[in-house]
Amino acid sequence: MAVTSDPASGSLRRDDGLLRRIVAHRADYAYVLPALVVMMVVIAYPIWFTIDMSFYKTPASLQLRDRTFVGWKNYETILTAPAFWSVTLNTVIWTLASTFFAFLLGLGAALSLHREFAGRAVLRAILLIPYVISAVAASYLWKWLYHSDFGVIGALSVQWGFTDKPINFLDNIHTALPSLIVVNIWREFSFAMIMLMAGLQTVPEQLLRAAQVDGANAWQRFWHVTAPHLKGVSMVTVLLLMVANFNSFIVPYLMTGGGPAGASDIWITHIYQIAFGRQNWGLASAYSVILFIVMMCLGYFYVQALTRGDKGRPE
Amino acid sequence: MAKVALENVVKTYGPVTAVGDVSFTVQDGEFVALVGPSGCGKTTTLNLIAGLIPMSGGNIRIGDKLVNDLDPKDRDIAMVFQNYALYPNKTVAKNLAFPLQMRRLSKDEILRKVTETARVLDITHLLERKPRELSGGQQQRVALGRALVRDPRAFLMDEPLSNLDAKLRVQMRTELKRFHQDLKATIIYVTHDQLEAVTMADKMAVMNGGTLQQYDSPKNVFDHPVNTFVASFVGSPAMSLVPLRRVVDGDTVALAGNGWQMPLSPANARKALGAKSDKLILGARHSTIALHDTPHAGTVPGRVYTVEPTGDVTFVQVHVDGAIVIASLAPDVPVRSDTNVWLGFDQTRMHLFDGETQMALTQT
Repeated sequence: MAVTSDPASGSLRRDDGLLRRIVAHRADYAYVLPALVVMMVVIAYPIWFTIDMSFYKTPASLQLRDRTFVGWKNYETILTAPAFWSVTLNTVIWTLASTFFAFLLGLGAALSLHREFAGRAVLRAILLIPYVISAVAASYLWKWLYHSDFGVIGALSVQWGFTDKPINFLDNIHTALPSLIVVNIWREFSFAMIMLMAGLQTVPEQLLRAAQVDGANAWQRFWHVTAPHLKGVSMVTVLLLMVANFNSFIVPYLMTGGGPAGASDIWITHIYQIAFGRQNWGLASAYSVILFIVMMCLGYFYVQALTRGDKGRPE
Repeated sequence: MAKVALENVVKTYGPVTAVGDVSFTVQDGEFVALVGPSGCGKTTTLNLIAGLIPMSGGNIRIGDKLVNDLDPKDRDIAMVFQNYALYPNKTVAKNLAFPLQMRRLSKDEILRKVTETARVLDITHLLERKPRELSGGQQQRVALGRALVRDPRAFLMDEPLSNLDAKLRVQMRTELKRFHQDLKATIIYVTHDQLEAVTMADKMAVMNGGTLQQYDSPKNVFDHPVNTFVASFVGSPAMSLVPLRRVVDGDTVALAGNGWQMPLSPANARKALGAKSDKLILGARHSTIALHDTPHAGTVPGRVYTVEPTGDVTFVQVHVDGAIVIASLAPDVPVRSDTNVWLGFDQTRMHLFDGETQMALTQT
């Protein structure tokens, strides 16, 4: 065991108190103390502050000394409001659709870019633009593309005879959320592409050749050799995309602000609206706490799934 | 099993010629080793036979079938790779079954063949394990099994033993040879280790710079190397090569160094006269060189550079005319560095090469 091999702790037994062990290793703790302090200040304290506030009704004047303790009432309000369920549904659709299609598109792009062809470097650079462009700029760009009077998409669909008049993508309760998801996929697929391209580089050439000699066609080589190698990086990519999508704010807020009539409202925009639109910090805090718990649960299960296959691996 | 024939095979990458005009035929059931230094085109040649890379020119026949435009899977060959190339996410059994599944064999037949192959290679107890749980030698057996399981027309092996440690390599070498004898398999085996080639192969194809230097039995390649490259590549330690001058005086032909001459036997004299110029290269294997501590008629002066005892034989490196000549001695003969010695070359077993063309001189 590592502990017994350490001469400084040779006299310590397992049943010694935690405090005594900390004191015995005080030098080690001193080294991590600065990092701990920073994390306490910027992570732990805000979390505590939010949880605390979620049990209060805060006045619109934002004078926090005038807040009143209301117990679980904020949570009750949230869970009984019909808006909560529609926002949750929107969030789930938004997160799953964005993640799924961004990943699929990224995989396709990565696979296409993995072989040699003329203009590959240029195409790769072009496909990276959505990822490096600022989200604010992208939002405004797409807002113009979708615009009912001046938008290129509407104009083209009329010109090509798909529709009689331009569709008002962002001002229609049926098209608003899908339109936003398209923008989000466009923004995120490059990220999946980079991750998967890196993953593809780790697929051993000899394995693909072996499969080729063994009689596997291109699809079988992908399924039996490439895909298993991409499993790890795929799971990480999906996790990161999911987290990013759950916490999306800029694109939906700038493009529709959650409208029309809440059709594209997702959790973060909703919370923002409650906190800074309606100035109801207590309620917004309670919302945030729920979101936090959901995220932690998802993260926990995901990490479990992520590490399950790795047991017994030598590296 | 089938024979494999290469006719004027060429592979170029832009201006670079990786394989230039290589022709040889591997007879049915023959074990042929492709040997040469790194980058000599031997692995490229193997990949061309497998169909993993397209040819730039020439023909390849497997059996009587021209396979130039066939995909690897349609050539019916099996390949064993240097780092085994086992599918890491599949168990040993699934690895063995894979080539059969790809050929749509029935489940029963796959099971029967996998079981049989595992029995032959003594890996039955490993069938449910994943490759990462196996040792290098076990992985090598599985890789061999995956090639063996489908009864191909030829085996292509790309340095299959070079990732094993020295002891295991010698053991696997023996097993591979046995495997070849039992199966009467056509095997084309790439290695940079000439010892593997000499010990296992029926024939060896020595390659350098993308071209085939010599294609013959190991004994012939060893005894009659066609040029200085083959002479210096095959054999351990390598054949010593000393650049010298030819001196013709009436009827006698001699090799001349700095301040000494060695008259040549009539047979060697005729060979020497066939050279294009007076530049000759003397080649001799360590076992054909005698060392003397006093000058004798026909001996060549040298100075001992290093002495390397290996246990049952001691190698002595001697400076002769700026070149290093390696001779061997019984371990109990005392020799010291920086002493003068005289070397006696066995005229019946020495080699002469043309100094201009580097080609072996033969009696005409």
